[in-house]
Amino acid sequence: MKLYKKEGNILQILSFPTENSEKGDYLLVEDPDARKALIAQVIDVQFASIPGVLEELLRTLPDGGVPIQGEDIDPLEIASHITYIQDASLLICKIRATFENERLSPSSSWLPSRSQSNIKKLSVPMLLKLAKVEGKLPIILGGTKDSSLLTIDASDVDGTLNIITGKKGCGKSHLSKLLMASLIGYKATVVIFDLNGEYTSIGMTSDGKRNMYYNKIHALTPSQNFKVALDQLHLNVIMGILIHALHLPGTSSREFRRTWKSLKEKGKLTLYELGEAIRDLKCNQHVRDALSSRYHALVNSGFFTDTPAESTLLDECLLKAKEEGGAIVINLRNTSTIDRQIVVEYVLGKLVDALQSWKLKAVFLFAEEAHLYLRETYWDDIVTRMRHFGIFTTFITNQPDTIRDSIYRQADNIFLFNFTNEHDLDVVSRAARVDAETVRSIARDLPPHHCLTLGKVVQDFPIVTRVRALDIKTMGETRLFFKDRN
Amino acid sequence: MQPNHQETTIAAVDTSTIKIGETSTGFIIAIRGATTWKQKRNYRYTRLGPFIFHITEENKNEVYNTLERAYFSTQYSSNRPASPHLMQMPTRLASLLERWIQTMLTKTVSQGLILFDGSLTSGTFDTPAQRMKEILSNARRNRSTVLAFSKMTSLRVNGHLITEQLPKHEPPYLLETTGLRCKPPMIPLGDVYVARLNKAKYAFRLDIDREIPLPHRADAVEKLLGNDLTTQGYPETLRLSHILCTFTANEVLAIKHFITRKHGIQIINRPDMHRLLFGPFGRGEFYS
Repeated sequence: MKLYKKEGNILQILSFPTENSEKGDYLLVEDPDARKALIAQVIDVQFASIPGVLEELLRTLPDGGVPIQGEDIDPLEIASHITYIQDASLLICKIRATFENERLSPSSSWLPSRSQSNIKKLSVPMLLKLAKVEGKLPIILGGTKDSSLLTIDASDVDGTLNIITGKKGCGKSHLSKLLMASLIGYKATVVIFDLNGEYTSIGMTSDGKRNMYYNKIHALTPSQNFKVALDQLHLNVIMGILIHALHLPGTSSREFRRTWKSLKEKGKLTLYELGEAIRDLKCNQHVRDALSSRYHALVNSGFFTDTPAESTLLDECLLKAKEEGGAIVINLRNTSTIDRQIVVEYVLGKLVDALQSWKLKAVFLFAEEAHLYLRETYWDDIVTRMRHFGIFTTFITNQPDTIRDSIYRQADNIFLFNFTNEHDLDVVSRAARVDAETVRSIARDLPPHHCLTLGKVVQDFPIVTRVRALDIKTMGETRLFFKDRN
Repeated sequence: MQPNHQETTIAAVDTSTIKIGETSTGFIIAIRGATTWKQKRNYRYTRLGPFIFHITEENKNEVYNTLERAYFSTQYSSNRPASPHLMQMPTRLASLLERWIQTMLTKTVSQGLILFDGSLTSGTFDTPAQRMKEILSNARRNRSTVLAFSKMTSLRVNGHLITEQLPKHEPPYLLETTGLRCKPPMIPLGDVYVARLNKAKYAFRLDIDREIPLPHRADAVEKLLGNDLTTQGYPETLRLSHILCTFTANEVLAIKHFITRKHGIQIINRPDMHRLLFGPFGRGEFYS
């Protein structure tokens, strides 16, 4: 390989066919005289502009457009050299760091010698060693192209905002399950908003047996094994549900607040008593109607109960998870949009309460397609206020434009799967911890189950990984009509 | 003339040479030859080379003699000039290869048309009259006709190039020339025509073997029209031969790569004295 050009933080390196570099590979450009080296990542591979190639290709085509057949008697075997030159490639590389005096710095301000520099591939283990990506709490994400493992440190996911995104069917849920399982392995508390009911069987192996996570997975299905008694609710949580999920107007909200407080003082905070109180309320007819319709929405959700025995599971699960680590899977499958919002409002409110009162240390929240249940104001809440309480969110989506720009800018880690759509790539490239060229160029060509890991977990050295397999029962598979015919 | 579509094999030959670089004692050249033929609507080719030579003042005779002996089983006759000039060696060696390929074609193609690049004038250093006579004789023996197309000519009539004095006649046509004389020692072995093979405004000098009867000559050109493409008035088979033997910049790079790898010769750029001495004025039109 030969250094050809440097423009800003882009290097152009001439590479010959035997050298075989691909997008995502890391190269070390060592200048022995300067005693330092550039670490650059290949973000695109192009044909080198070799003079005469067009003529070479054109001359084998006669006017009819059919390649002309023939024989080459080439005693000196020059043809192999022609192919060698013709197939030379130009590696477009992004400078990631300078290595000098055993230390890495993000500088790309110096110019290595074009004639004296040695260029060689930098293996991922060596890169991770240089970047000091060490795994005191290792999470093995998967294998890299050079057959090494990419191991990140669970503490680099701690206190961070993460995004897992990629087009449908490329392995996002699989990665989030892997992260989740690894975190509970380190006794972390994980809460998952499971839109399709695909996380509920993480405790089972693919052949249906119990696995090591079995006792740590707590699947809660709203209105089935997950119900809430009104007296467990804080006023601000129920107000949140009424205002944000059920869109209760201001005047009615004030009336509800008064009614709630009154019932609480009397120790009669049950669904039945609330219904009665609203019916007997002496107020404007419209207000009463508004409250009455919200009340019936709460009742019809099946999520609320007057039986205390039915309503203790979440607390129990949180307690268990706090002690041994565990995942609370909120199964939102078969739940209507409104009910989903009610459940999410409740769970988030509950988590904030538990964290504020130090009943919980911190929670890793995994939110799949969060735009389907998260109210507008929560986006900013999650990246600012809730983070300080100890809710560390991982968003999982195949529609990157449903996540706000501010989330991308503040994301600490992005696990990016394949996208071919320009618009999707544009959205993701707004993330602060990565440059647009890398996202556009590498993500477009990622094969299924390969993910480009960006951010703090890889010390800002983007690395392509084939996400490792997990022996868990798959529930997220699309149901197919023609499945049996294949 | 009317195209004659009777199935006829058309074969063409061309060679090419290029200087790869200079050494302290001479230079390195590459030579390649190509023969193309059209048979049953398909074009096929055979390329020979590239052959790479390091030619010096010391080895030029040996190289030339060895090749000539190998190709034609002959040596320099006593009355030939002592040796080719070093600067002319690339074209001399290419001509040698070309004559050999032409000989092979005329020996193997029967009842076909054999297209040469250039004229049928002989008597020059690299086209001895005897050798060209043998080539034409071989062709005749195999009932083939040699048609030699020249892309450029210096032959003039009334001060004008013969290829630029075209009558207002619907092409394709042949114009016969008479009274053209060659300066000794050159011997014309073909009669010279101007061939305009289609409506394109290009006409070419065409030499046809003198020994071929007149009606057969026109017949040969009509078969060419009926069996080969004549884009821009030039036979496609001959065009392909030329294209296939020409060295592209990519191939020159590959040859340099081969020389470096195989023989450890480092290639460096010779300082451009014009540019060195005169700066931007060193290459007039290029650096203005």
